[in-house]
Amino acid sequence: MLLSGGGLVAGAAAASAGWALSTQPAAPPDPAVIPPDDDLMREHGVLKRVLLCYREMISRVQAGEPLDAQDLHDAALIIHDYIEGFHEGLEEGYVFPRLVQAGRLASTVTTLLVQHARGRVITQFLLAGATAKGVASPGGPARLAAAMQAFDRMYEPHEAREDTVVFPAFRQILPAAELTDLGQYFAELQHQEFGTNEFAAVVARVASIEQNLGIYDLAQFTPQVSQYIPSP
Amino acid sequence: MRQRRPAHPGSARRRRHAGLALALAVVILGACGCGGSDKSGPAAATETGAPGGMTVTITARTVPKVGTVLVTSQDLVLYVFAPDHHRAITCKGTCLGTWPPLMLPSGSKLAAGAGVKRGLLGSDRDPSGGRVVTYAGWPLYTYTGDVDPGQATGQNLNLNGGLWYVIRPSGLPLIPRS
Repeated sequence: MLLSGGGLVAGAAAASAGWALSTQPAAPPDPAVIPPDDDLMREHGVLKRVLLCYREMISRVQAGEPLDAQDLHDAALIIHDYIEGFHEGLEEGYVFPRLVQAGRLASTVTTLLVQHARGRVITQFLLAGATAKGVASPGGPARLAAAMQAFDRMYEPHEAREDTVVFPAFRQILPAAELTDLGQYFAELQHQEFGTNEFAAVVARVASIEQNLGIYDLAQFTPQVSQYIPSP
Repeated sequence: MRQRRPAHPGSARRRRHAGLALALAVVILGACGCGGSDKSGPAAATETGAPGGMTVTITARTVPKVGTVLVTSQDLVLYVFAPDHHRAITCKGTCLGTWPPLMLPSGSKLAAGAGVKRGLLGSDRDPSGGRVVTYAGWPLYTYTGDVDPGQATGQNLNLNGGLWYVIRPSGLPLIPRS
């Protein structure tokens, strides 16, 4: 497995890390910049909302209703561009290696990496199938719904585990100054790759899909509970 | 074999991360042997006769579903990034988190294992620092999704702005027929 071997090279790399430790003081932290783990968790919020969109589309297919290719494409593209193309790169580049180096959660990290890879395969399938022809083809909607279901089933526990175990562990092992520095760097990377107001723009994109699907109104999910109240 | 995690351009404090990332890049290769593997022992980056030198060896291996392709000394499949156009490294930022480039440490040598053409091996300056191993002009990367040796789960993946392919010993990427 990837996580075996490499001790000689690791030692050489660790030695080379020494040259890069700057003695210059870090710039004062920008209070507008959030810690890296908090940043990753709010990005999970985007993922969660897309999973909800997928769930709604799955329900429609199962009810025999048509699947909107544009909504599916837009949702899958958010996953592709923002979650897989950005968020996961942050985790894979900055969070997972540090945990493994600290001897923490190596097995979990491996599972998460495999799930990232599997998720990307599913997203490519969804993007390829999210066409007028694809959703109209015999069996097409069912295959797309099955793919969304597999994606949802994997990523719900995936992000929950990251939020409750992986990111707290990461926060534990990273010195406070490095956390601050990394948070600022994450913000800069996001700005470089997506431009200004990037997070708000992605959220707006998700909201638009939710509106198309009729699931944007939060209040509609509030259940009636009188039946759960015991009789006096 | 040396892989690098994302480096941070710019300020001195970011260089702290660059070095850390460099260390961590290889640590992820060298952590505890969790799970099964048919490889054991340290990475195959070996000492040369040159004082302080190392050798980065590229070999060819037959991998399921893709055939004979280039791999690292740890049997990690190597990829090329179509937007690099076998000329320059264009993977940057978070792309590097998912696709660590194969680095050539200063003072190290390149070696061609069985099946690999030594004349096609080279290195390019990495805009983020250091030098990246190239083959037929293509910068070489590994993929974090390949958690075991001999996997090629990144083949034909469209991610981080372009397509990724394994590369044959001939120097040609394995581009599927459309």
